[in-house]
Amino acid sequence: MNIVVCVKYVPDATGDRRFNDADHTVDRVGVDGLLSELDEYAVEEALKIVEASDGSEGEVTVLTVGPEQAADAIRKSLQMGAHKGVHVLDDAIHGSDAAATSLLLAEAIKKVGAESAWDLVICGMASTDGSMSVVPAMLAERLGVAQVTFGSEISVTGDMVSIRRDGDTATETVEASTPLVLSVTDQSNEPRYPSFKGIMAAKKKPVETWSLADLGVPAEQVGLAAAWTKVDASAARPPREAGTIVTDEGDGAARLVEFLAGQKFI
Amino acid sequence: MNPYAESAERVALRKAVADLAAGYGRGYFSERARAGEKTTDLWADMGKHGYLGVAVPEEYGGGGGGIGDLAAVCEELATAGCPLLLMVVSPAICATVIARFGTDEQKQRWLPGFADGTRTMAFSITEPDAGSNAHKITTTGRRDGDDWLLTGRKTYISGVDEAESVLVVARTEDARTGRLQPALFVVPTDAPGFEWKPIAMDLLSPERQFTLFFDDVRLPANALVGAEGAGIAQLFAGLNPERIMAASFSTGLGRFALRRATEYVKTREVFGAPIGSHQALAHPLAQSHIEIELARLMTQRAAALYDAGDDAAAGEAANMAKYAAAEAACTVVDRAIQAHGGNGLASEYGLASLLAATRAGRIAPVSREMVLNFVAMHSLGLPKSY
Repeated sequence: MNIVVCVKYVPDATGDRRFNDADHTVDRVGVDGLLSELDEYAVEEALKIVEASDGSEGEVTVLTVGPEQAADAIRKSLQMGAHKGVHVLDDAIHGSDAAATSLLLAEAIKKVGAESAWDLVICGMASTDGSMSVVPAMLAERLGVAQVTFGSEISVTGDMVSIRRDGDTATETVEASTPLVLSVTDQSNEPRYPSFKGIMAAKKKPVETWSLADLGVPAEQVGLAAAWTKVDASAARPPREAGTIVTDEGDGAARLVEFLAGQKFI
Repeated sequence: MNPYAESAERVALRKAVADLAAGYGRGYFSERARAGEKTTDLWADMGKHGYLGVAVPEEYGGGGGGIGDLAAVCEELATAGCPLLLMVVSPAICATVIARFGTDEQKQRWLPGFADGTRTMAFSITEPDAGSNAHKITTTGRRDGDDWLLTGRKTYISGVDEAESVLVVARTEDARTGRLQPALFVVPTDAPGFEWKPIAMDLLSPERQFTLFFDDVRLPANALVGAEGAGIAQLFAGLNPERIMAASFSTGLGRFALRRATEYVKTREVFGAPIGSHQALAHPLAQSHIEIELARLMTQRAAALYDAGDDAAAGEAANMAKYAAAEAACTVVDRAIQAHGGNGLASEYGLASLLAATRAGRIAPVSREMVLNFVAMHSLGLPKSY
């Protein structure tokens, strides 16, 4: 089974994240970036599926759209065990919204598919920076294939994929046949740490860099100017205020309830 | 390539180990040590990812990297507060000696287990009557037919209870001349005639220290590592990695203490400002950062020299790195505790137990004084003092 995993390079969520003053896009220069933690689950799921299908020659291709440093997200995925990488890189992409991102991913996936057919596209459930969760659905629409999102448990038999989806009120198990776009949650697996051999092997794995021209996407369809949404202003979150400390003088429980009720939590 | 920067792969290795170790951390380490339990699950996890076998040749299932890679793994674990002491002996000394000097049979037998961490080998050199003086070692192997009979005592040997075997530094008697020559034997921990007793230590460590007794321990011919009489070169091949690893152990613990102290002085407020705004606390921590980074640089240099095959230059650098790292670690722990006030001695903050742990770095695997002797004599050409 051949799988394409879409990954995103995001600012480290544990760091001090900022927006760029000039155009209110995410500041990727002043902060450390990394492979979106939620996309690690997508990479892991793809590796597990390919490893489980003994003997068949499946490959995991990891795909990212992003600035030069986004190569780090590909490298990390290759270190985990993905076989090859594709980096869509073009200055005109800066500021692209989810719709444009899905267009670029779709065209890149078509180009990957022209070389060897893919069975599955796997995405994380959301990016840890934009957290919109809409790209997988948009991507499926553009590729004209089925989509199953927020998968928490995946099993593959032949070309049938069984997916457990945990909702707020019910858990459902759905089946879909490939080709398919799938997004997986942080409950789906436990992403592996790159082994030393994985780290060394990643050096030699092929990574292709494609521009807009390589994908045949006109520059005016992507980037900040083409975005359907516009950020007018951004402001840093105010510093967290000191909490209320309840000293228990025998009435601790009552005062906790009082506080929670006052805040309408209960 | 910039020789003053680590490769992208080394950096990725550090990150991967740090991420894995973060799931264990100081709390895990202290809890296990206090309960008298081992950290074998961390060891196994590290082994599974190939981190313990980074320096074992690829043909035996290892990573094909060098001591620099292994030292990075050791340092990142210590930085996370959960060091693995046996990394200093099992993969660093024992695997290195066997990979460099072992027979093909010994390599086939031992190296795959070092590569994935499933085999642990302790290392014993120190004797009750021959501490730093390796020339006074009296543990002796005598020929008995094709076998060897090993007799002697060792002390302050780490982790024998966790090891499958011990690499023993001994001497063999030349049958013709009666002269004693250094030799290394692999002794299974369950060999008849081999007894080991724990030494009560005031160290918070899952690994225990032991005194070993060998009473005519019968060993097969293939227990002797490498060639008879080639001992001293083999020994030093293993001791330089040991010093590089010990230095990394120290810089890692130093980084752990410094990070704890830095976080604390940023958030702890007295007199209306974080205490880190006072230079009396900020400057010592800044000094420690400089001292630790200098020690790390020398450690990486020693490892690079060793991995490039320059044993002589690596020896000098490894001694200097071990010295500098131990000093930096002792100093930063003292400063970190001072910055914490009373909290510095509370179990919760995980610093007080580092007083003894970092102090050990000034003594083992070679004392500060012996390093200074070495530098005075070999680097400065001063008269031999011992």
